[in-house]
Amino acid sequence: MTDISTRSAAGGAGGAALSLRKLAPAVFLAPAVLLLAVYLLYPLVDSFRLSLLDWNGLGENARYVGLDNWKKLATDTLFWKAAWNNILLAVFSVVIQMPIAVVLAVVLDNAGKGSRILKILYFLPLLMSSVALGVLFKYFYDVNFGPLNALLDYVGLGAFAQDWLGDTRFALGAVIAVVCWQYIPFYMVLFMAGLASFPAEISEAAKLDGASETTIFWKMKLPHLKGTFRTAVVLSVIGALRYFDLIYVMTGGGPEGASELMATYMYRNVFSSFQLGYGSTVASAMFIIVILIASVLLRFSKRFETEV
Amino acid sequence: MSSKLASKLSALACGAAMVAVVPFAAHAADKVITSWDLQTTAGAVKVIRDAADRFEAANPGYKVEDTHILNDAYKTKIKIAFGANEPPCVFASWGGGPFREYVAANQVVDLTPYLDKDPAFKERFAPASFGAVTVDGKIYGLPAENTAIAVVFYNKEMFEKLNLTPPKTWDELLQVIDVLKKNDIAPFALANKNKWTGSMYYGYLVDRIGGPEAFAKAAQRKDGGSFADPVFVEAGKRLQELVNLGAFQKGYNGLDYDVGGSRRLLYTGKAAMELMGTWEASTIGNENPEFAKKLGFFPFPSVPGGKGDPSDLLGTLGDNFVSVTNACPEKDKAVDFIKFLTDDTAAAGRVADSRLPPIKNLKVDNPFLQEVSKLVSEAKSVQLWWDQELPPKLGELHKDTSQELFGLSKTPEQVADEFEAAAKAELK
Repeated sequence: MTDISTRSAAGGAGGAALSLRKLAPAVFLAPAVLLLAVYLLYPLVDSFRLSLLDWNGLGENARYVGLDNWKKLATDTLFWKAAWNNILLAVFSVVIQMPIAVVLAVVLDNAGKGSRILKILYFLPLLMSSVALGVLFKYFYDVNFGPLNALLDYVGLGAFAQDWLGDTRFALGAVIAVVCWQYIPFYMVLFMAGLASFPAEISEAAKLDGASETTIFWKMKLPHLKGTFRTAVVLSVIGALRYFDLIYVMTGGGPEGASELMATYMYRNVFSSFQLGYGSTVASAMFIIVILIASVLLRFSKRFETEV
Repeated sequence: MSSKLASKLSALACGAAMVAVVPFAAHAADKVITSWDLQTTAGAVKVIRDAADRFEAANPGYKVEDTHILNDAYKTKIKIAFGANEPPCVFASWGGGPFREYVAANQVVDLTPYLDKDPAFKERFAPASFGAVTVDGKIYGLPAENTAIAVVFYNKEMFEKLNLTPPKTWDELLQVIDVLKKNDIAPFALANKNKWTGSMYYGYLVDRIGGPEAFAKAAQRKDGGSFADPVFVEAGKRLQELVNLGAFQKGYNGLDYDVGGSRRLLYTGKAAMELMGTWEASTIGNENPEFAKKLGFFPFPSVPGGKGDPSDLLGTLGDNFVSVTNACPEKDKAVDFIKFLTDDTAAAGRVADSRLPPIKNLKVDNPFLQEVSKLVSEAKSVQLWWDQELPPKLGELHKDTSQELFGLSKTPEQVADEFEAAAKAELK
């Protein structure tokens, strides 16, 4: 529609056409900007406004309390514990997911025929809904009937069988393992794409010069993946900092807050405790923390940016 | 390739946006009464739809749109709907603390004048059943679905085999626990990821030790009531005594009740008892009819020297209450509809579905319901679930702290003090 009208106008008067042509990008961008403004920008700003209220989210009884919620947040041990759990999740996501994803990517990159099936198989976890995965692994970890403990028992490691989701020491770790398992395929694909852009003639030339496969991997392919690593790490850290779903399904943040994340803590405040004001404070703080960490990360990883 | 995909996607997004903009076509002639509840079993939904059909027949030109939403999703959805000022005309709740938030926000219609006009209708309900939906002497809901009280379910066959009888006192309970432990059976099955499941133990212990007044006084902040009272500390101690005895199976704080975490233990004979609401009987009947034949129940035992009467119950008369919202354009008709939802025909339908609405002189053939009905009629007090009775913030804190008691990570004194401090701040 817009396209046709600009063109026909261009056929008419020259000056009008120019301004219309200038207008065109705005027109094309308008729907996206509008959607972003309504569903992203407005809620973001508004949650900061709500964070200054003592409000249960119902009716007209909101009370302006200034920075009280923020003061409370500063000393709220539960929130900081949740934030710390988020950081643990972020660190372990990177440390566990990246190496495994790279190894899988390299193996699949070098594998010949038949690797298609493997690629599909490895990709499957990412295609499953988090809720279904959560329920599945709840059964998997079940202390009395779960296959994990049964397996440990069977191979004679019964002493290592644990109350995976009910013990404050293991709950977070147990969920992190599933989160990693779910997202490794995503980074695998990312690294595979990176490897695919590695020029074959370079590795051929290196081979002619007597470089071994290992040397080619460590000295050439891995450095080539620098930019991909940066993207992957940033994505993974941001994802971990605002993570919600598997924790919500598998532990609900429990037991005793042992696996609470900022997002689940916010959810509990808003929807279970009816504290929309304080919940918004948590959400806003979460936003600030994510922005801070992400920008620091981007800043310090700038030198790994690829030229492309 | 990718740009093609992008254009397809954006076309799709535009389409979706268009759909969102066009308002949903309404039935031109009929006025619509929207109704939300959390009944999702076929039997329960049928009773509601049947009431809606009878209402529609009696009120031409009106239509009921009934929506049935699963428990946890319902809690979130109704909260958002009220927050956005777009609640349904008729909604179901448990009464108590969260419900009082809606009433305080002036979102719920006062039903007292309607009930005063129709005393014969009102008199049918058990008087105690209005407690959870009464705020400042005004009634804001009608008890609809069920009578749910917490009792100890047990495996009759297993008790017989081990020569055990249902314990009436704390000491008898400890003996039962001892015998079961010696036979490698977990005495209690508990799925405490959900927290309200473990809360029942604490609630009953407080009642048995201090009587129903202990909680009532503390929750209503009157007559010097306090959650730091020795009653609450002793309840915590008894609870942790059970934990230390190994009265609960491994992993109790992580199991999920909603996916059958505790019931599986009963079915497989790994655990002998479970403290649970009476809805459990019909759940087990549906899940495992074979096991249901072995199922018996007894009331929570008494505690030596305790002030509480062992007939006192923890639970709800009504289970779900139906209310009308102030945002509803057809309030009078909506009130009419909730009367259909709770009339004798609907009650009979619920009884046929193995449930027990709190209505006087109800004709009940089902022996299980008869027993429940007897317990309720003999009870000196029926205390609503703590997590529903308390304001939402305290309800959550109670659930958190009772899980911590079970986890032995806090002492009863710590929990009592922490809870009292929060109650002081919240209940002025």
